[in-house]
Amino acid sequence: MAKKSPLPTPADARAASQHAIVVSDARYVYPNGKVVALNGVSVTVDHGELLGIIGQNGSGKTTLTKLLNGLLQPSSGTVVVNGIETTGRTVQEMSAHIGYVFQNPNHQLFARTVQAELEFGPTNIGIEGEELAERVARAVEFFGLQDVIEEHPYRVSFPIRKLVGIASIVTMEPSILILDEPSTGQDHQTTSIINHLMRKLAEQGTTVVCVSHDMPLLADVVERVIVMKDAQIIADASPREVFADKPLMARTNLQAPQITEIALQTVVPLGGPIALTPAELAADLGARLSSKG
Amino acid sequence: MSMQGALPVSLIPGDSVLHRVHPLPKMIWVVLYVVVAFMTQNIIVLYGMALLALLLGIIGGVVKPLLKAAFIIVPIGSSLLALQLMAPAVEQPWTQIAQLGPITLYEDGLYYGLVLLGRIVACLLMALVVVMTTHPSDLFTTLSKLKVPYTLNFMMAMTLQLIPVFQREVGIILSAQKSRGMKGNGFQAVLPSFVPVFVGAIERVQQLSISLESRGFGSAGHKTSYRQVRGKASDWVLAVIAIAAAALLGTVSIMRGGWSVSELLVVEPATAVAVWVVSASVFLGIIAFALILSFRKS
Repeated sequence: MAKKSPLPTPADARAASQHAIVVSDARYVYPNGKVVALNGVSVTVDHGELLGIIGQNGSGKTTLTKLLNGLLQPSSGTVVVNGIETTGRTVQEMSAHIGYVFQNPNHQLFARTVQAELEFGPTNIGIEGEELAERVARAVEFFGLQDVIEEHPYRVSFPIRKLVGIASIVTMEPSILILDEPSTGQDHQTTSIINHLMRKLAEQGTTVVCVSHDMPLLADVVERVIVMKDAQIIADASPREVFADKPLMARTNLQAPQITEIALQTVVPLGGPIALTPAELAADLGARLSSKG
Repeated sequence: MSMQGALPVSLIPGDSVLHRVHPLPKMIWVVLYVVVAFMTQNIIVLYGMALLALLLGIIGGVVKPLLKAAFIIVPIGSSLLALQLMAPAVEQPWTQIAQLGPITLYEDGLYYGLVLLGRIVACLLMALVVVMTTHPSDLFTTLSKLKVPYTLNFMMAMTLQLIPVFQREVGIILSAQKSRGMKGNGFQAVLPSFVPVFVGAIERVQQLSISLESRGFGSAGHKTSYRQVRGKASDWVLAVIAIAAAALLGTVSIMRGGWSVSELLVVEPATAVAVWVVSASVFLGIIAFALILSFRKS
């Protein structure tokens, strides 16, 4: 096989590519040849988009995200990230372009201190000196890790460890970030930080792909939701459209956020909005009550 | 990374004749394989045993993963042959067979190297066939019935059951570190990969012990098992055949002082040199490959 040309820098690649992610008719069959994990999946994601991926366990969500950073190579079809086709590229090469936060932080953390953990990823992609220090400082401030910076990552509580895991990828400043179940097992405070992080990154132009079963989080944050079932994408729309589609939710054994369910049964039949957050529903109810005097 | 690269050393699900054999005769076969292999120095017997284990692997439908797992023999076997040819682990005097510059090769070394290799191959193949065709819970239940102490029994069963779990864990951890741009596959990957594996293992053991205690592990009384293992008459025939064969081979081996048939191995000096060159090259090649991988910058 011909040697692949060196990759452009993440900034150059992002500037030169029209879309952040272009998956065309991707199919993935596990090596035993028996399990088709993805079957003809096509999806395009723009730069700076906030995308949620939902679906039952085994529907192909994680396989799709693993194709994006080269952990898996498509059996057929193509996956192009920042204009770079992932086929034949190593995960290490792609890591400067696309960050992947694993569900369990224990699978990532190994260093003696939180600081060393935050420095590991950027160092691997050639970041050093002042820029490295600045990236770590920014992450420490954003995630509120000041008090644990010298601690061993395994001595901090699980929610903090989760944040350290996310921060260790964020310091690599990839232009695309994949979060696999970021809020699973997390307390409210950590989920809020993750919520805030996703919004902030998207504002800065980072493409965020979030695989989650946490519907309230997705309803609150993402702009677009992909629904997967049986290794295929069966819906691709705004969270409002997806969560209001009762047959779709029933077919995929998913449940819309409780607030949306309440809105669908109360204010929507009266011409009210399909609320995604408590604030939206409260605003509509407040308006209705005040109009009645 | 998925588990594509992992060595399969756990149950390979199937419904072959071998999968249906009661675990006890299989365990008897493994134990007797080890006993006979270390009693005899007859390479015909040893390689015959290895061939029989391979045949059982074919019958059990596990020959592919069996050969994949048995690949571990290559570095061990090549080093054994290369070293034994130069310095046999038997009493002197040794019969010189060839001279290769400063290196002297001995006929005794070649034979004894083949004996040692035969022992490893035979025992490893048989143990792998049994592990790959026996459900760990069946093994556990059988050992319980044999009055093996419950705790010891449980430890053995858990070890077998945790192997695939840890293999999967290693795969996920390597994927996670590669996603962070981890360079290299060798020594550079040791710390980032093995710290999470060990921490995960310790945490898993802690959780498991708490979970076991909370479910009454270690309490007094008769232990029952969800899985019921029943043997057929043919299973016990297999056990009797194994015992009879082992008794016969063991007795002959003792009576003939190890039953060496080195006189049957007539080797030309050129053949001995070829064996040494190939085995030493394979062994050194593997070491060189491992070192290159370790220090390679990706």
